[in-house]
Amino acid sequence: MIRPMNPLLTVSMAPHVHCGRTIKGYMRETLLALMPAAIMAGVIFGMDAVRVMALSCAVAVVTEALANRLMKRDLAVDDLSALHTGLLFAFLLPASAPWWLVTVGSAASIFMGKVIFGGLGGNPLCSPLVGWALCRISWPEFMDTNATMLASNLPAPLQQLKSFGLDAVAFIDPASLFMGHQLGGLGAIQVAALLAGGVFLLVRRHISWEIPAAFTAGLLLTAWIYRTIDPATYATPLFHLLAGGSIFGAFFLATDPASSPVGRIPTLLFGLIAGVMVIVIRVYGIYPDGVPFAILLANLFTPLLDRIRPKPFGGPYTLTQEKEDDAICKKCCG
Amino acid sequence: MTNYSFSLLTGDTGPLVKGTRPDCLRIPIHAHKPILASGDQVLSGTKIAEAKADGHGDLHSPLAGTIREVDSFSMRIEVTGNTRTDSETPPGDSGESLSRWLHNLGINVSRFRRAQTLIINAVPPEPGISIYEPLLRDYRKTLELGLDTVERMVEPTKIFLVAAKGNRANAFANCTVMHVAPTYPNGLDQLVIKAVTGRETLPGATPENTVLLSVSDLYLIGRVMETGRPATETVMTIDGQNLLVRIGTPVGFLVAEAGGSVQPGDRVVLGGLMRGIPALNLEQGVGRDSTGLHVVRKGEGLESTDNFCLGCGECERHCPARIMPGMISRCAEFKHFARAETFHVHSCIECGICGYWCKAQRPLLQYIRLAKFEIALLRTATSPAKEPEKEKDSDKCPEKTDD
Ligand code: SF4
Ligand code: SF4
Repeated sequence: MIRPMNPLLTVSMAPHVHCGRTIKGYMRETLLALMPAAIMAGVIFGMDAVRVMALSCAVAVVTEALANRLMKRDLAVDDLSALHTGLLFAFLLPASAPWWLVTVGSAASIFMGKVIFGGLGGNPLCSPLVGWALCRISWPEFMDTNATMLASNLPAPLQQLKSFGLDAVAFIDPASLFMGHQLGGLGAIQVAALLAGGVFLLVRRHISWEIPAAFTAGLLLTAWIYRTIDPATYATPLFHLLAGGSIFGAFFLATDPASSPVGRIPTLLFGLIAGVMVIVIRVYGIYPDGVPFAILLANLFTPLLDRIRPKPFGGPYTLTQEKEDDAICKKCCG
Repeated sequence: MTNYSFSLLTGDTGPLVKGTRPDCLRIPIHAHKPILASGDQVLSGTKIAEAKADGHGDLHSPLAGTIREVDSFSMRIEVTGNTRTDSETPPGDSGESLSRWLHNLGINVSRFRRAQTLIINAVPPEPGISIYEPLLRDYRKTLELGLDTVERMVEPTKIFLVAAKGNRANAFANCTVMHVAPTYPNGLDQLVIKAVTGRETLPGATPENTVLLSVSDLYLIGRVMETGRPATETVMTIDGQNLLVRIGTPVGFLVAEAGGSVQPGDRVVLGGLMRGIPALNLEQGVGRDSTGLHVVRKGEGLESTDNFCLGCGECERHCPARIMPGMISRCAEFKHFARAETFHVHSCIECGICGYWCKAQRPLLQYIRLAKFEIALLRTATSPAKEPEKEKDSDKCPEKTDD
């Protein structure tokens, strides 16, 4: 039946049409969405920020290429995912980060965050956060934006809130926070620019609304509860939303496809958990900004949340083992 | 192919045209046992093969000629003319003898058990397939006769005609018309059954007390009753035109007739683009279940890759069966077939939508079918070819060559 082979046809399984989206396209548009924030970082923190971003991206790409070579995989750097991870990691660093910190963190993001779990899609934790956590725990003094950027006259809202209480941040205008006039991760605090990028991703349907919405809701709600309990100690929900990396986390870190659950209810819960944890960590934790750890924590819930599934079509079904035929058994086994 | 539309609206189509007579037929017989051998002469209407299992009617030659080749997949007939066998008179009574007579003339009667609800599916199975439109418009008499015949076997108390909102659907006597939204995959049997009865059934099964058949089934039964001659044709949409095509007509012939051409590396898809099965070569003949023909150019359409699943959930968001195609494909990829079952692989209605949306261009439906197939192998002593589980032909043909 196969004989006449001219012309040779392609034989492939259905479907034969495709929406046209690719991993590379997704990465390209996500990078595009990060661009406004990257530019703003350059404007506000100057060449320092550009240096950190460039180095981080370069190290990420090289690490990925080396890892692929090492594991004899096809070179996968052209899907832009390493660039993406590298840039996200850079966004979490202070502009003053020394070169070795950037290198170690970026390489760790790729290697420990992604490669050892089998590459893109296999990571149980948001990869740039893995590198960030490593650096944050190992070299806290270099990761502390306030201490390393003493020369800057920008406020560091979360650090000030942590160390000096609510009065210290009372003078900070939310509008200036929104415009990114604060110290923190060099890209993570570009609230307005990130919001624009996030909306772009939503419109292009690269991310769905559930995680950012639930994240924001969880964050605002928890902040509001604390605020209602004691307005003299706790900052306003709006302050928490605009200070630090909340928006960055909501749109760019929590939505990482591999480490977030799928399905509406699981994603809503996931966002809520992360949002609530942000405030809890900011209030009780030793780290001023709770966003990265909150998301890492929520990532741990992902496998659990993924078990919340609607009933499958036609109900759960298992093909039953057919009763073994005695005659056949006798023939085979004696 | 981003301009692909999921709309099932057919608009106005032209009349049903009778397909041109080919010089050679290659009739797929993988579900049948040939009763004639190479060298035998056949007339148009001579029985050539008997159904091996339920779910098929017997096969007859659509044209007169000589059988040149018989293998386990197909029978090649060199056409010499269209001299016909004598027509038969349909039996007047209902039940057993009627159904045996129809089976003999090529109709799949195993589904016509007695049931209270009879559903006629008039929703196009896939975008770009408009076969029901001309039938409903121009062949009411035949359809009514077909329905009458089916009623005699099924004896339903309620009859539903399910159509896509916006497409033509005039009710038959005693028949309620139901509308569903005109978007794919609403025309798939499982979803049509759900729309009417509210019950969800696994693919390949219908709830008791329900019988479902399509408008083309009605038409073919009606024609058998009208003419007393076997059903040897299928209705197909080719390039927007609806044709009554003889079973076994080579796909290459159909493409050429439609004014198209096939280049090396193209895909010739039998059926729609979401679920269709690609032809192995241009000689392959169309089967009874073919509903359409598409040529997909090389480089167009889904070119699947072995990319890893990103876990983005895009497939899951669009899946009408509410399962996680991404997870199932990961299980199948690493041969954890039993694990695929815990992700409810059996619920998949094989619509292909997950593969359409997957950013990583993973062959999701292929993984799913593989998992189903392997589970069937694992759990049953019999070969999966005999499984009642509705595996499409694609699972059976491509793996063997007889060179
Ligand atoms: S083919 Fe894919 S989208 Fe369709 S039912 Fe099956 S798993 Fe779901
Ligand atoms: S759409 Fe593709 S990449 Fe995304 S979860 Fe599904 S299988 Fe994985």
